[in-house]
Amino acid sequence: MTAGVLEVRRLTKRFGGLTAVTGLDFDVLEGEILGMIGPNGAGKSTTFNLIAGTYPATSGEVRFAGESILGLPPHRIAARGVLRTFQHNRPFDGMSVLENVLVGAHTRFHMGVFSRKASNEEAQRRRRAEELIEFVGLTDVRDAEVTTLSFGQGRLLEIARALAGEPRLILFDEPAAGLTPAELERIAGIIRGIAARGIAVLLIEHDMHFLLPLAQRVVVLNFGAKIADGLPDQIRADPAVTDAYLGSHAAAR
Amino acid sequence: MKTLSGWLGAFLLLSGAAFLLGDYHNDVYRKMLLWVALALGYNFLFGICGQVAFSHFAFYGIGAYSVVILLFQLNVPLPLAVVLGVAICVVVALAVAIPSTRLEGFYLALATLALAQLFVVILNEGGTVTGGTGGIANYRLPEIFGFRLRGPSYTAVIVLLVLFTYFVLRKLDRSWFGRACRAVRDNPEAAAAMGVDVARTKVIAFTLTSALAGVAGMVYAFVDNTVNPPIFGLDNAFLLLFMVIVGGSGRHAGAVIGAVLLFLLPFWLSPLVGHHHVLVFGVLVLAAILLQPKGLIGLYDGWRSRS
Repeated sequence: MTAGVLEVRRLTKRFGGLTAVTGLDFDVLEGEILGMIGPNGAGKSTTFNLIAGTYPATSGEVRFAGESILGLPPHRIAARGVLRTFQHNRPFDGMSVLENVLVGAHTRFHMGVFSRKASNEEAQRRRRAEELIEFVGLTDVRDAEVTTLSFGQGRLLEIARALAGEPRLILFDEPAAGLTPAELERIAGIIRGIAARGIAVLLIEHDMHFLLPLAQRVVVLNFGAKIADGLPDQIRADPAVTDAYLGSHAAAR
Repeated sequence: MKTLSGWLGAFLLLSGAAFLLGDYHNDVYRKMLLWVALALGYNFLFGICGQVAFSHFAFYGIGAYSVVILLFQLNVPLPLAVVLGVAICVVVALAVAIPSTRLEGFYLALATLALAQLFVVILNEGGTVTGGTGGIANYRLPEIFGFRLRGPSYTAVIVLLVLFTYFVLRKLDRSWFGRACRAVRDNPEAAAAMGVDVARTKVIAFTLTSALAGVAGMVYAFVDNTVNPPIFGLDNAFLLLFMVIVGGSGRHAGAVIGAVLLFLLPFWLSPLVGHHHVLVFGVLVLAAILLQPKGLIGLYDGWRSRS
């Protein structure tokens, strides 16, 4: 098996007496869409935040491109090429769509503000940001204030902003939450397009109907531990998963 | 080349105006320009980077007193005095910003409030070094290349200060650094997730704008050829905040409009309301916050987009 871009080993997080994540192991490969599912409170969001550096882990290891990133602050992790989206959109309200995307490219600026080459770099990054805006389909609102965007457009902006950081790994935190069926289809297409560029995708998702057709591999969490790991079809057929998740959830749909 | 001629034109126009004014109006004009320089810097810190600080006038004072003390008590040559004055501002700014920006939000406001109060106390109690409550007076700007700058030609120096401040801040604002500042203001957690070092960005913005206030203070020191404590107190620090809010925080043009308007307003108001113009300012600020949070520049934008 080839080594993953992201390798998570024995990852554990305790909040006081509560163990949110226990001894978690998984890899994400280059160009792969790895789905992570589980019922509410299974530890998905905690895992996400441990990788992104929002919380410190209790123990274990997170390696990105062969180097440990555990314990680094979020901005250093982003600089290494791990970019994320937020479940509840978090745009920079006082700026246009284009400027928001340019903030995503923050770590890709290398020239000093007063350097002679700064304007070249700025122009180059601006073109790249415009391409990304086109890729997610926000060209019409490129210069609009972000406060005027719809919820779905805001989600697309989250994605373009994360891509501007030239990630090798992109973390999606429940990207389907709150979207209409038409928007879901659109986002699924975009996520496939991202993986096709060779970027590793870790997709944390609650909505199985969205995730299973999209993910190439799926990790299932319950009570902070991995209970299954495999192809989407294997996951669908796994009785442990059905018990923990689908049993209660799929029936309700 | 086109931009260079624009800057040159602005310099000639703004400093040329000083030669047409009488002594009294020239004095008013210079002080207005100094307020513009301060408001531009404060707008970057408060409006663009979202940091609430009350130390801007303290740094203005640190710059002013440093250059005077270095020049006339320690006999340091002018260029070195300027460099040392900036260095003092930078060191004090770092000492305040590094511990307080590592804490959350409100602490910078508290720390800078304390600094502003402490600074005035030090000035009043400074004995012969600061001249106590009376400050220091009766000095003159040393000759620069054999020229003694005074009257309208010193106003040209102030114009240069305003343009330099504007140039630096505009350049920063339109760069990745300015975007990082706005991102930190709008959503620090998302900014960090995009690779912005939030604490560092805040410290740099605070130190830089404080140093610019220090430079403005050095220029101010030779406007009246006297420095004394009341100028650098909290009253003016709050007035600066009002200027930025009324003009439109986060916008350079807003800072300029706010500074010019609130500086000139008392001259028109005092025949009508005497010394109660502060009351009018209070009403203006409340009106801006309640009715038009984007300030006068926001009103102008709205009017322009409708017509």
